[in-house]
Amino acid sequence: MIRAAATYAVRSLGRNTRRTLLSIVGIGVGCALALFMESLNRGRDELFARMGGYAGAGHLRVVPRDWRERRDPRLRLADGPAALQAADALPGVAAVTTRARAQALVAMGTHVAPVEIVGADPVNEPKTNKFVRTMAAGRYLQPGDTGVAVIGQALADRLAAELDDELLATAVGRTGDIESILLRIVGIVRTGSDDLDASLCQVALADVERLTGLAGAGEVTVIMQDWKTTDAAKAALATRVRGDEVLTWGELNPEIEGHMQQDAATSRIISSVILLIVLLGVASAQLAAVLERRREFAVLAALGMPRHTIVALLLAEAVAIGTAGGLLGLALGLPFVWRLAHAGLDLRSLMGSTYTFQGAIMEPVIYGDIGPWVGWYVFTVAIVATVLASLYPAWFAARTDPADALRVA
Amino acid sequence: MPEPILVARGVTKVFDVGRQQVRALRGVDLEVREGEFLALVGPSGSGKTTFLNLVGALDVPTAGELLVLGRRIAELSPRERADLRLRSIGFVFQAYNLVPVLTARENVEFVLELQGLGEERRQRAMAALQELGLGDLADRRPAELSGGQQQRVAVARAIASRPALVLADEPTANLDGENAEILMHLMRDMRDRHGMTFVFSTHDPRVVAHATRVVTLVDGRVAHDEAMAGEAPHEILPGIGKAPAGTDA
Repeated sequence: MIRAAATYAVRSLGRNTRRTLLSIVGIGVGCALALFMESLNRGRDELFARMGGYAGAGHLRVVPRDWRERRDPRLRLADGPAALQAADALPGVAAVTTRARAQALVAMGTHVAPVEIVGADPVNEPKTNKFVRTMAAGRYLQPGDTGVAVIGQALADRLAAELDDELLATAVGRTGDIESILLRIVGIVRTGSDDLDASLCQVALADVERLTGLAGAGEVTVIMQDWKTTDAAKAALATRVRGDEVLTWGELNPEIEGHMQQDAATSRIISSVILLIVLLGVASAQLAAVLERRREFAVLAALGMPRHTIVALLLAEAVAIGTAGGLLGLALGLPFVWRLAHAGLDLRSLMGSTYTFQGAIMEPVIYGDIGPWVGWYVFTVAIVATVLASLYPAWFAARTDPADALRVA
Repeated sequence: MPEPILVARGVTKVFDVGRQQVRALRGVDLEVREGEFLALVGPSGSGKTTFLNLVGALDVPTAGELLVLGRRIAELSPRERADLRLRSIGFVFQAYNLVPVLTARENVEFVLELQGLGEERRQRAMAALQELGLGDLADRRPAELSGGQQQRVAVARAIASRPALVLADEPTANLDGENAEILMHLMRDMRDRHGMTFVFSTHDPRVVAHATRVVTLVDGRVAHDEAMAGEAPHEILPGIGKAPAGTDA
C-alpha cells in the first residue's frame, strides 16, 4: 500500500506541474537564502581566526613552558630550533616564523616611548603578519640586517623620527643591568591602527639578543593553510616539542575567541530565525495545497486508503519536493556562496580598510565558508524542513471526513 | 433465498450542527439481499445519502444495528472500516470524484493497487474499462472526458475489484437522459454478469424503473418498500465509449 502511495505521490507531483514548481521554487529560494547565511556565519568565524592569526599571534604558537602564566617576554624557548623544525614539518602549514621580544624604551632626542621590540625573521615575518607589509616609507627588514629597525607611523610621529634617524633602545639585560643599542630607522609602517603603530618596533632577532643578552627565540609562530585544522595541528605539534608549550590563537587571545563564540551564538539565532521563516513558508504552502486537495483526499479515504497511507503519501511528496527544492537551492545559492568564499563580502567602504579589536587588527572582509558541508546542509534543511512542515498538513489531510468532504454543495 | 448483504435495524444518525442536533435517520429498518438492484428514493433531506454513507462505512450510526457483509459497522475501527471499503464495497458518487491527476486507467488501477494486486491489475483495469466501453479512452485524464464518460470510469473503478456491494449516490444526477440511461443499463449488466449487489439513491423516475426494489425514505424513516414485479428490459447500447470526448453530457 505504501508503494501505491509512493506511485501516486510521483504522479501527483508530476502532473500538478504548477503547484509542484511553485513549492520547489519556494523551498529552493528559502534554502539558497539559508545556505548563504550559513556560509556567511561560518565565514565570520574565519574572520576572527584571521584576526587572531594574521595580526601576529599566528594560529599556533610555541611558547616557553611558563609563558602562559607569566607572559614575560624575557622567557626563551627550551629548544627553539627543534620547535621551528617540528612546526615546519607539520602538514598544512602556510608559514612559520620565530620571534624574540623585549620590553624597551626607545628614544630620539628628547622624545621617549615605551615599546615591545620584536626581533623578527625578515623573510618569514611578513608571511605571518600581513600588516607589517604596509610600508609608509622605506623598506621592511632584510636578511643580514643588524642595527636597524622598522617602526610604526604613530611611533615615528611621537618620536618626531624619520627614515635614517637613529633611535636609542634601552632594556633590562639578562643580568639585570640596563643595556642599550642604536637602531637606524629603515622603514615606517602604517598598519591602519594608530594604537598598534604607536608601539610597533621590529628589529633583527640578533639585535634583541644583543640588547637583552638572552639567546634564542622566545616563540615560534605558525600560520595554517586552513585555520580549522588548528586544533589537530596543535595536538600533533605538542607531541614533538619538548620543554615548551603549544597554544592556539584562541588560547593566546581568549577575549577574541570569546567574542567569536558570542558572535557565533548570535549568528545561530539569526540562522534559526531564517530557517523558521523557511519552515513556516513551506508549511503554509503545504497546508494551502492540502486544503485545495481536500476533496481528493476524501476520495482516497472513501476508496479505502487508510489514514497512515495518506500521511505517507503526503510525506513522500514532501521528500520529493524537498529533494528537488534542495537541488534548486544548491543551484541558486552555490554561485553566491562561491563568490562570497572567494571575493568576500567587503565592508571596507563602510568600516574603513582596517579596524582593531582587543588589540588585534583586522580587515573587515568576510569570506564565506564553502566545502562539502554545503551539500548536506542544503538537503538536510530542504528535506527536514519540508517534512516537518508537512506533518500538520498530512495529519489534517488524514483526518478529512470523506462523508463530509464529498457532500455535494 | 440469497443471503442478506445488508441488515439495518433501528439505525439512527444524529448530527451536531452548532448547538443543534439534526436527526438525519430516525430508526431505519432494512434488509438487502445479494444480487438486488435497489433504488433508494425520497425527497431531499430524507436521509438517503446519510444512509449510504453508513452502509459504505464512511460514517457510523448513532444508534441501532447496522451489519454490512456480516460486519457490525459501529464496532469497526477507522482502519477496519477503510479496509472494508477497499476490499468489499464499490462507490459511485454523484460528482464522479475521479482523481484528477490520474488517467481513466490509473483511476481504476489505483484501487487494485491499494488492494495489493500485482501486475495483473493493469489487465483487470483495462478489462473493466472495456466492459464499460471506455477502452479507447483509458489514457485520458478526467478533465478530458465528458460527464457521462467520467461516471462510467467511476463505475469501472467501483466494480473492477468485484466488490460484493456497490453503492451509488445519485449516480445520474449530473447526466443527461441518454447518458443516465446508458449508465443504468451498464450497472444492471454488471450486476447480471458479476452478481454484485447495487444500492443507489436517486430522484429520477427513469432510473427507478431499472430497480428490482424501491425503498422510499421520508424524514429518516423507511416509508415504503416495494419489490418491482418485473425488471425493465435492457441491453447494452452498441458503440458506447466509441464517441469522441465531449460529444455527450
